[in-house]
Amino acid sequence: MKNNPLRIATVIILISLFLIGCTSTPQGDQTQLIETDNDAISVVEEVLEEDVSNSDIDIEIPRFTIKADVNLQGELSALYSAYFDGELPVFIMDDPDLLVTAAPEIAAERPVVYPTFLPDTILIPQIDNEDIDNFIQFAISPDGQQVLIEIGALPEILVITDQAGRQLEIHQPIRQVLSAYGPATAVIYSVNGWDRLVAASYLGARDPQGAEAMERIDPRFPELVGDDLFSQQEFDLEEAAALEPNLIIGASRSSWIESVEQLGVPVFLVEAETAQQLRETALLIGELFGPHSYAQAQAWVNYFDWVIDTIQKQWSENPMEPKPQVLFSGTEPLRVASGDMYQTEIIESAGGISVSAELSGYWNDVNLEQVVIWDPELIIIPPYGGAKVETITESQEWQIIDSVAFGQVFRMPKLVAPWDTPAPDSVLGIVWLAELLHPEIVELTCASETNFFYNTFYNYAISGDEIGAICTLN
Amino acid sequence: MAPSVPLTERKIRLSKPAIVWILLLLPFALAMVAMTIGRYQISVLDTVKILLSPISPAYAGDIPEVAKRLVLQIRAPRILAALLIGASFGATGTAFQAIFKNPLVDSNILGVTTGAGFGAAIAILLRGTHWQIQISAFLFGLLAVSLSFFGSRLYKATPLLVLTLMGILVGSLFSSLTALLKYMADPLDSLPAITFWLLGSLTNITWRSLPVLAAIALTGLVFFWFLGWRFNIISLGDEEAKSLGINPVHMKMMIIFAATLMTAAAVSISGVIGWVGLVIPHAGRMMVGPDHKRLIPATIGLGAAFLLLIDLIARALLPGEIPLGVLTGLVGVPLLMGLLRKNRTGW
Repeated sequence: MKNNPLRIATVIILISLFLIGCTSTPQGDQTQLIETDNDAISVVEEVLEEDVSNSDIDIEIPRFTIKADVNLQGELSALYSAYFDGELPVFIMDDPDLLVTAAPEIAAERPVVYPTFLPDTILIPQIDNEDIDNFIQFAISPDGQQVLIEIGALPEILVITDQAGRQLEIHQPIRQVLSAYGPATAVIYSVNGWDRLVAASYLGARDPQGAEAMERIDPRFPELVGDDLFSQQEFDLEEAAALEPNLIIGASRSSWIESVEQLGVPVFLVEAETAQQLRETALLIGELFGPHSYAQAQAWVNYFDWVIDTIQKQWSENPMEPKPQVLFSGTEPLRVASGDMYQTEIIESAGGISVSAELSGYWNDVNLEQVVIWDPELIIIPPYGGAKVETITESQEWQIIDSVAFGQVFRMPKLVAPWDTPAPDSVLGIVWLAELLHPEIVELTCASETNFFYNTFYNYAISGDEIGAICTLN
Repeated sequence: MAPSVPLTERKIRLSKPAIVWILLLLPFALAMVAMTIGRYQISVLDTVKILLSPISPAYAGDIPEVAKRLVLQIRAPRILAALLIGASFGATGTAFQAIFKNPLVDSNILGVTTGAGFGAAIAILLRGTHWQIQISAFLFGLLAVSLSFFGSRLYKATPLLVLTLMGILVGSLFSSLTALLKYMADPLDSLPAITFWLLGSLTNITWRSLPVLAAIALTGLVFFWFLGWRFNIISLGDEEAKSLGINPVHMKMMIIFAATLMTAAAVSISGVIGWVGLVIPHAGRMMVGPDHKRLIPATIGLGAAFLLLIDLIARALLPGEIPLGVLTGLVGVPLLMGLLRKNRTGW
């Protein structure tokens, strides 16, 4: 909503500039050719050539030309005339400014996500042009979705089953989202849905570094109310009603579900406790936000699988490579991750063994004697809750553990969302740990994947300094 | 005086002083056993050798360094702490029951444990270190008792009743405040830490935790033992005490002061372990009768032995630590019921 005056102003300026350009410059030679291709499609092609200075046909210069399959031209025309105030697009066969085509299969290895305005249909600009960029942004925005819904190209009601097994009917497009669950918020950011958040609970944005990084990723972050009002335990109904969300996303274990449903806003519940659930969460949230977000979610899932497969392959090609024993310690040194927790999956995906996998439930309190029996080769601590490497390495009692005496205690990194929690960022936790456990054989590096991940999924140009700070061990 | 137990159960008859001595030696015997038990297997012989090694390192020459450190650095301080804390709870519970003339009160009657719980919770919430949490718990424990004590002076009526009432009021004030802190705490880190603290644990005991605890606990225990028969007089009532040449007000203040310091020192290290202070005095009375000359040493021994046993289960049974607050009831209730069945005595 905030963007509208700005956007309208931009459009007005662009249109007036265009009109000035049209009236003040001499008309170029414009030939209108009507061609018929094999499918009997009529395409208007125009040729703008500087050396041709005389013209007898007087038509407007189009903003840009589009090449698209005939069955997509209706949708594109609707989008184009909605964005450019009634103007009609010009479709050509060859050398277009904007290519509209079926999406190639999303590569797994560091996938590229193209603007996807309809399922599996992407927009690829062929030249550098502001109008095209704006048009693409419009096409994949909720306003663009609205246009496509009105002409029946996208469903108005999305029937979708959430991760609590409830079937919901959700009006499209979603414009105002309230996320009361940190992992869901991280997913929303990484599927390009962040500008639709009206309030959100964040993962790892409470500490100063996390908050600063979050503000660099999303300048609106300081104004977005969230952490204090909406979480698994709490939900401020009045505040939520005032924000007028048209979708609320929460954890399936939230305590407030029934009362919040009284607001009459659909409540979509997610459960992201395991890697498999996280994949589903990403795809479902992608689906809620529209074709482009879905494509980005699919890209993330492919990338996540590719990272795990690559590490697994490189590890298994070296039969002599051992699986180190890893202890994932929590916010207190003697509070350790159970086998049911996501941290155990990260250790296993990175080619290690979690010594505390025999435990069940949530974080378990143990005593040092038990740690002596486990005798981990490596201890990982999480990047939250005030956990410090020094708490362990400088403790006299912990010197009994060999890995502590040898300094093998490391803190899992994070930018905002901790890399050991079920957020899309956790793919980097796997890379980081794999590089630490198997430096000789795993070729993925924390630095390269961090750079790729935040640029691709958070649309955040992470700096070299940040990468250095994150990926340098302790 | 002899308990009217059926003949079949009167197999062994021990004199009460003998029972007292057995109860006092029991924790030491149990401590030796506990030294050899843990998640990590160390044989009895090796344990003995390790325990002798500070005298002469030659005894434990062939034993792995890990085992030595486990016994001397991890198990020994924890076992000693369990003994001191258990003894403190047993003795202070008995003392409070005597001065309040009420068998249903325990060390927490003036809010010391609840206050300490709040102190610990606020320190955890402010991300205090281990030491700051202990100090905060200790100070808030003392603060809670001071509030109860001086609050009761505001009202001129039967002092004991008002003191009990103030204790209950202060206790509920601090438990509300603790509940508020838990509500505010981050469910990912500080909330589990607060909950775990409130359930009690000796996991984090090191040698560094011991000097202050030992100084306070041992002084207090000796003091209570020395008071012995005076507890009998105080529990008769103020008039009777005066007629027997004891200033009941001064005496009670001293006892409350000592018991508060002891309890605060204990809970600031162990977290909240309720129950022991309530039940151990009853178990003691069943075994040695109501005479405080015997009851105080008996409850010292029983408290120490009981907490040691509980902590042994907590640390050795499962890979994960079991909170003490969970076990005190699970183990204590059957034990107490067994005792009740055996000695149908009145107190």
